[in-house]
Amino acid sequence: MSASTVTFSSIDALHKRAAKVKAEQEKHSMEVLVCAGPGCIAQGAKEIYQVITDKLDEHKTALKKKKLEVGVQLVSKCTGCHGMCEAGPVVTLEPSHHFYTHVTAKNAGDIVEKAILEGEIIEKLLYHQEARKGGNTVKRYTDIPFYALQNRIALRNVGVVDPLDLDDYLAHDGFKAIAKALTSMTPEEVADEVEKSGLRGRGGAGFPTGRKWKSALRVKKDRVWVICNGDEGDPGAFMDRAIMEGDPYSVIEGMLLGAYALGATEGYIYVRHEYPLAVKHLQLAIEKMTAAGLLGDKILGTDFSFHLKLTRGGGAFVCGESSALMRSIEGKVGEPRAKYVRSVEKGLHDEPTVLNNVETWTCIPAIIHKGASWFSSLGSKTSKGTKAFSLVGKVKHTGLVEVPMGRTLREIIFDIGGGIIDDRPFKAVQTGGPSGGCLPIDKLDLPVDFDTLAKAGAMMGSGGMIVMDDRTCMVDVAKYFINFLIGESCGKCVPCREGLRQVYDLLDKITRGDGEMDDIDKIEALCHTMEVASLCALGKSAPYPVTSTIQYFREEYEEHIRDHKCRAGVCKPLIKYHINKDCTGCLVCKRQCPVEAISGEKKKLHIIDQDICTTCGICMEVCNFDAVDIISGGVTVTQQLEKAAK
Amino acid sequence: MIKAVEKPVSHSEKDKTVRITIDGRSIDAPKGMNLLEVARSNGIDIPSLCYHPGLEAFGACRLCVVEITKPGWENWRKLVTSCLYPVEEDLIVYTRSPEVMENRRVVLDLQLARVPNSDVIRQLAAEYGIHDTTYTKRKDADNCILCGICVRVCEAVGANAISTLSRGPDKYVEVPDPEACIGCLACAESCPTDAIGWHEENGIRHIWHRDFELVECETCGKPILTQQQIDHFVEKSGLEERYFAKCDSCRKKETAVSISRVMF
Amino acid sequence: MSEQVAEKTCTCAEKFNGTLQAIFDRYPREESSLIMVLQDVQEELNWLPPEAINCVAENLNVPKAKVQGVATFYRAFSLEPRGKKLVKVCMGTACHVRGAGMLVDELERRLEVNAGKGMSPDGEFSLETVNCVGACAMAPAIVVGENYYANMGPDKLKRLLNKERES
Repeated sequence: MSASTVTFSSIDALHKRAAKVKAEQEKHSMEVLVCAGPGCIAQGAKEIYQVITDKLDEHKTALKKKKLEVGVQLVSKCTGCHGMCEAGPVVTLEPSHHFYTHVTAKNAGDIVEKAILEGEIIEKLLYHQEARKGGNTVKRYTDIPFYALQNRIALRNVGVVDPLDLDDYLAHDGFKAIAKALTSMTPEEVADEVEKSGLRGRGGAGFPTGRKWKSALRVKKDRVWVICNGDEGDPGAFMDRAIMEGDPYSVIEGMLLGAYALGATEGYIYVRHEYPLAVKHLQLAIEKMTAAGLLGDKILGTDFSFHLKLTRGGGAFVCGESSALMRSIEGKVGEPRAKYVRSVEKGLHDEPTVLNNVETWTCIPAIIHKGASWFSSLGSKTSKGTKAFSLVGKVKHTGLVEVPMGRTLREIIFDIGGGIIDDRPFKAVQTGGPSGGCLPIDKLDLPVDFDTLAKAGAMMGSGGMIVMDDRTCMVDVAKYFINFLIGESCGKCVPCREGLRQVYDLLDKITRGDGEMDDIDKIEALCHTMEVASLCALGKSAPYPVTSTIQYFREEYEEHIRDHKCRAGVCKPLIKYHINKDCTGCLVCKRQCPVEAISGEKKKLHIIDQDICTTCGICMEVCNFDAVDIISGGVTVTQQLEKAAK
Repeated sequence: MIKAVEKPVSHSEKDKTVRITIDGRSIDAPKGMNLLEVARSNGIDIPSLCYHPGLEAFGACRLCVVEITKPGWENWRKLVTSCLYPVEEDLIVYTRSPEVMENRRVVLDLQLARVPNSDVIRQLAAEYGIHDTTYTKRKDADNCILCGICVRVCEAVGANAISTLSRGPDKYVEVPDPEACIGCLACAESCPTDAIGWHEENGIRHIWHRDFELVECETCGKPILTQQQIDHFVEKSGLEERYFAKCDSCRKKETAVSISRVMF
Repeated sequence: MSEQVAEKTCTCAEKFNGTLQAIFDRYPREESSLIMVLQDVQEELNWLPPEAINCVAENLNVPKAKVQGVATFYRAFSLEPRGKKLVKVCMGTACHVRGAGMLVDELERRLEVNAGKGMSPDGEFSLETVNCVGACAMAPAIVVGENYYANMGPDKLKRLLNKERES
């Protein structure tokens, strides 16, 4: 399938090619998809791909006899998009949906020789439903709740198409939407359709995409820019990365449709430099589309032209803010501007600009292809369609989850995610990244959409969902986000730059055990000013991780201050490690201790010298007998946690 | 020249002025002019530390933040940055409401923690009842409040020698390439907190890690400009170098003499 | 005007055996190319030496102060020499709640280096914290070059470093 050097001189030529590729693929009675996300690659996915390809070649005649034509695809699926990174490398067989985990170069041959040639099920490579091992096995990924409960629109092609192969995208209905628009829709009709679909920007603020496009259409202009924000910066969120790596053509097709609707001839994709694979795949896609006549002048032989450039971010979270992103494309320092003049009037180079994020752009082709009413039939009253989330943290099945808007947090975390690792108690879920908040257990039944979460003091944001268990300290989480934002604040305006520094000082004081009760009020007052008086969204939303944890977990703050106790055993200055009587004297911790703080002889109780101990936690990590305790505020918190967990 | 507030040009005459209300006073103002200018030109004081009428508004100090509402908003109010906010018909503005004053107090408290030794900030903070900061003072604090005026002035002069380096709380102002500095003092003289140190001694001006020899007025011998300034102005303005040979007052005297010769 | 600038070859570019010249030729010589050019220069030289920064300023016709401002604003750029290998510890939220902080402490101790500053005494490693590499399902994650290390713990670092030293 390397013939993507074909140049499509007309829409008809595109359709013909798609039909041909599809017919060719349908000849394959079976496809082998090898996940090539960084997680699987790290564990040998490339070697496995090679073994499978070689084996297929070796058994060519046998396969022919059985009338099996097998196409192997090395499909790049982003880390965790299958949620089974810990079970990687993952190999899927289509159309049977058989799903093999922990595949190695050694047993990859079995997939060809047993599963494909003999039609057997390889029991030992199947996915285990319950714990890591033991429990029921599941043959098809479609039977695993993690997938069964999802509805993938933005992620429709991730893990399905070969991101480097334009033909494969064509075979999966690729470019049908732009062909439809160019043949049977006016630019206004495309904008109308997007507006009718109810699509709201997936980047965080949830501004209606169609309305943004329409207001850009009303601005008098010589030139309009179209930008894709691929600067996904929320820590704990990687939906956009998965899409850019796994389905670059959809993103660009979305931009093509936007450009057509808005009369734009030039655009940018701005990608985080921390995502090298996304940069590579998008760059290749741009090159291939340009060669195929799908980008550049007179696209598909029509009068529509669109030139697209990729630019890499320089490593600044604030550049996810649209006005800062535009400054960055201009080669400047990424400092935001006040938005009293909207970017649809004055954006990049002070010209009208429409900016949407990756997931938003990816939804556009699906909407145009299947129609606005199909999209708007999904989701909740105010938030239409589906939303991709990255479900991570202390949850059993981590990965990318896409569900219709309005599903509850409980459904996502417990039904799809399988609940908390080791069945420990759920403590909080952090949504919306540094602009979001932490929600406690009694908010688990909230439906997830733009408006409900915002009302609860969190934010849906771009879709990060970090699950926390009882061993997570909420003051520490607040401090973590403030520290994150200190490193990422551009430093332009006073409330954000100076406010963050002061909030951090106060939180640090509390986690050191030096806090006073009125520090909490002081933090809240400062947070209020930051929220109302900061220049951009980064500063305005910076207080949410703090205010939401104070709102829902105030007693934890108070414990740190009053009892010098960190109930989760996290805040280092407030904890001590102690070896209890379960110690068998195995010497493991003694050997591993990096500062030689542990003394003791073989088969005798070991002791930690508190003056030397740096509370690094390695002893606890390596102990096989649960003999290391954390003591905080005079209480053995580890014991308390275990008791509570039971 | 207030770049940030340009709105799409409206063609109808009557759209050119708008009527707004500031602190209960009805005021006519040119449409699109920023709120801070409108208030100040009507004698209403709004404090600001990063605004400079000759430069593009920046919106960094957050002191000029005021509360606005509109007739249809049912008393819902929001804070906006007056130096950046273009005025529009029916706008109702509060420059001293409790929310505005509270915001100014917190912002000045934060500034005071940043520059505890600055007389300007201490005095301004005291006007709002803050005599000592409630926050942690910055260690080894200079007097820079990162208002960005020096950077913007230097850019306007055309020297482009000053930049902010790094970001967030670590941000600072520097001249990374002293060769680009022309020693014109525009930055130092427009700094609201006198944070840019300089001095002159024996015909030498010292600023930004560099010494500049001053050129003397050929008539009175007073040190006037640096040679780098003259070179820069000659290049930018197209004037002859001769033009800069005399100090301002000598030139004026000469002009007066020559005019009197022609006239009388 | 840009053509006129393009023809200019400065002496500083020669210092780097023409590698910088090749980078300048890839982009339009204007301010909007600045970040891309700096990235390519850093990829070539492993850091941004002062002469290289000046050279970029001259060739793109951007004031040196601005280039310096950009180079210090964005996290991707290093203004000091770095070790042969860059150990990136992910500090995303998923990694944080799974103990990434411990990894940084332990790596700083083992490599005798501070995160984000300088390199290990043997010149092999520099240590950096990254705000989420998007490998949240592998948390806590460490990235060295193109190698992703999943589910890291302080007790696994010795082996990781030995492996990276050998390869």
